Amino acid sequence: MEKAKISARQLFVLVVLFEMGSAILVGYPVKLKQDAWIAILLGMAGGILLFLVYYRLFLFYPNLPLTSYVQFIMGKWIGRFIGFFYIIYFAYLAARVLRDFGELLTATVYTQTPLFFLMALLILTIIYALHKGFEVLARVGELYFGVVYFIAIGGFFLLIFSGLIHLENLRPILENGLMPIFKSVLTQNLTFPFGEMVVFTMVLPYLNKPEKVKKVCISGIILSGINFTIACVINIATLGTGLFIRSPYPLLSTVSKIELANFIERLDVLFMLYLIIAGFIKVAVFTYAAIIGTTDLFQFQDHKKLTLPIGLFILLTAMMIAKNYAEHIEEGLRVVPIYVHWPFQIIIPLILLGVAYFRNRHNQQEAVSIK
Amino acid sequence: MSILSKMLKKKHQRRQSDNYRQILDPLKPDDLPIDRDVQMNIKHLQEEMGNSSDLVIRQIKIGQIGGALAYIDGLVDGKGISDYILESFTETKQISEESDLFQFVMDKIVAVGSIRTIRNWNALFDALLSGCTVIFLNGYSKALSGETRGGDRRPIQEPSQQLSIRGPKDAFNETLRTNTALIRRRIKSPNLWVETMKIGTITQTDVAILYVKGIANEEIIQEVRDRLHRINIDSIIDSGYVEQSIEDQTFTSFPTTYHTERPDVVASQLVEGRIAIVVDGSPFVLTVPAVFVQFFQAPDDYYSRFDLSTGIRVLRIIAFFIALIGPSLYIAATTFHQEMIPTTLAIAIAAQRENVPFPAFVEALVMEVTFEILREAGLRLPRAVGQAVSIVGALVIGQAAVQANIVSPMMVIVVSITAIANFSTPVFAMAISVRLLRFVLMALAAFTGFYGIMIGLMIMAIHLCSLRSFGVPYMAPLAPFNTENQQDVFIRFPIWAFKNRPQFISKGNTVRTGSNQKPAPPSQNVKESQNSEGKKS
Repeated sequence: MEKAKISARQLFVLVVLFEMGSAILVGYPVKLKQDAWIAILLGMAGGILLFLVYYRLFLFYPNLPLTSYVQFIMGKWIGRFIGFFYIIYFAYLAARVLRDFGELLTATVYTQTPLFFLMALLILTIIYALHKGFEVLARVGELYFGVVYFIAIGGFFLLIFSGLIHLENLRPILENGLMPIFKSVLTQNLTFPFGEMVVFTMVLPYLNKPEKVKKVCISGIILSGINFTIACVINIATLGTGLFIRSPYPLLSTVSKIELANFIERLDVLFMLYLIIAGFIKVAVFTYAAIIGTTDLFQFQDHKKLTLPIGLFILLTAMMIAKNYAEHIEEGLRVVPIYVHWPFQIIIPLILLGVAYFRNRHNQQEAVSIK
Repeated sequence: MSILSKMLKKKHQRRQSDNYRQILDPLKPDDLPIDRDVQMNIKHLQEEMGNSSDLVIRQIKIGQIGGALAYIDGLVDGKGISDYILESFTETKQISEESDLFQFVMDKIVAVGSIRTIRNWNALFDALLSGCTVIFLNGYSKALSGETRGGDRRPIQEPSQQLSIRGPKDAFNETLRTNTALIRRRIKSPNLWVETMKIGTITQTDVAILYVKGIANEEIIQEVRDRLHRINIDSIIDSGYVEQSIEDQTFTSFPTTYHTERPDVVASQLVEGRIAIVVDGSPFVLTVPAVFVQFFQAPDDYYSRFDLSTGIRVLRIIAFFIALIGPSLYIAATTFHQEMIPTTLAIAIAAQRENVPFPAFVEALVMEVTFEILREAGLRLPRAVGQAVSIVGALVIGQAAVQANIVSPMMVIVVSITAIANFSTPVFAMAISVRLLRFVLMALAAFTGFYGIMIGLMIMAIHLCSLRSFGVPYMAPLAPFNTENQQDVFIRFPIWAFKNRPQFISKGNTVRTGSNQKPAPPSQNVKESQNSEGKKS
């Protein structure tokens, strides 16, 4: 663990930027057509429940990250084994988001630039930030939170003034009943992005006021969930279901439709600004979790030595995980949620919570008193 | 490796403790006491100073006892010496026999404000070389020093760097005492404390720390003291030497201390809880801790009304970004993102660039470098030649380069706007840092367009967030965000709404204004006061 302390506001900002992150770019359950936003709201509700699981675990061990307390709960060797897989999981997710980000850039603006180069620039920036420490990352998040909101609100008003929002596109609601929505929530929306809060189990001990964890994180999840839902509604209302389903990046299609007074148009650059900020924060948090997990599990003195090797490892992984964008996104939507997210976000934490509950049932009072 | 680092650490510690001893202990090992014999003392003095011609020694006699008087010509107020010291020596005839002669001279003869007894040579040289007059008396192994500082100094003039439309017109000069007086005239409080020390093993420069006791954070004051004591170099010629020796991080292009030549700025910062460092011989006073937003606050902002100052401050921040990314945006837009330029403009630019043989990056680089050279040359040139150069420069930049198809007219516009925008940053140290970073961003834009610029800005943001100035995060109050201290960041609140001092600087005593400070028309005030009286009764 690094000796860092972040404030409640900084944690809140990180949660919001992290959750919105790449989800707002690629995470729409487009198969649900005009009902996509309902799935997102339900996913958010499920995400809050999942977070309460992580929060209970945090209450049992308020000073330790996941990779440490898993050793207390499951015993030294099994715990280390699980911890090691969590590190791999975080690094893999970092690589996935990095690839999302790189693919988006190569698909839209930089069609001639090598994917590797674009991703390398971002990962080097992240390595620099993480080398400076988690406090710096939190401060950068705070600085960019204002920028993101400025862009979001500006874009929202521009869309309204351009007369692009047609709310009738949202009807009919629940055309195919609730079943497809529940299915989508369980296989996709719960785990991405809301279940990814599991990564915060690695950084929660940094909060200077541990009693605020619950309030801060849950309000962060709610705010990001609402933003995500609004973005989804706007996308459907602007594009109509036909385009919404076909567009690889609905938000980009929406933004590029803005045209006002023959002057304010082609605002793709705003989108790109958001993309870089969101990509940065999300990849950085995952990478940091992988780095700090390795530091913790293998008992390194200083996490700074690991930033460069793990950063480069993530870059190479991002290059290797898929041959092309279609393969990448297919894996991300079909395979990863069920075979990767479910075990790491839901099954293992629930098992851990159960075992931890039995282990700590005698000093239960103690754990509660921290709250 | 660990052994090596241990050794280094030990050596470092030893060096540090040595420094402390050397600076804190007035009795250096080779410090000699003053002799009883005046002639011996004169001889020693002349030997030590190599018979320097500006050392004036005058033999005097008081009653039966011989003595001598020494001062450095040019550092002293000659009239003062002749009026208040020499004249009283020559006029004094009677000496009461029983009293101590040394005490008598001290009490009755030397009629100057500050007077001290000196017992050894180091202290004597300190006094002599800072403009005091030293008096030896035969038979006493001590000397007397009277404060007679004077000589030619630059008068208080108008500021030459940080101009303002409205507000005080005086600026610091090169004399420490004048500078501290200019500050004290503005803060008439006994809580304004001045601590002085000497830094520079050869120059022995006086350095003063000023702060308002009770507002300034004690920890930061101690940190400033420690860092100043740690300095062990031969010379301090300007406050820039001190700045570079005490800043938190060397490898940054951003200034982490603030410097100004305006006493009003220093006074307002002292009241905010900052600490001023005045260096003798420098008209620039340092204040610490410095934060990023401070470099966009001009003194004018506070002297004119808040709505106007807010508008101008926002303009200044926009100008900062133009100066930073102006040319790189042009490069990115013309090289990578032509579709983002409105069609007619894009065609116009393309037509202009038709005959230019270079890529936009080279074009921009040529113009920027030319401009930077002209600017630097304009700074160093003798006044008489300056005008000629500016005419040549204007022709080269404006006319000939375009006609020769080296650059496009659009590029000339971009570079000129960038250059002018750069001058709107109130503090030169920040402006020059932007000048440097601009080239880095241009290179990034040439490689990857907007993405490169954004990555560059991101790295800059990370770097800024990682900086600290005397322990205070450099981006405060933006990151870490502090709601109470937003009144002086983007929007300059009305003066009566400045309720708090910056909490990231001063701890505890942070309330600035009384309650209900908002001015209002008289009738309303009367009503309110009646109401409150009614409530009381």
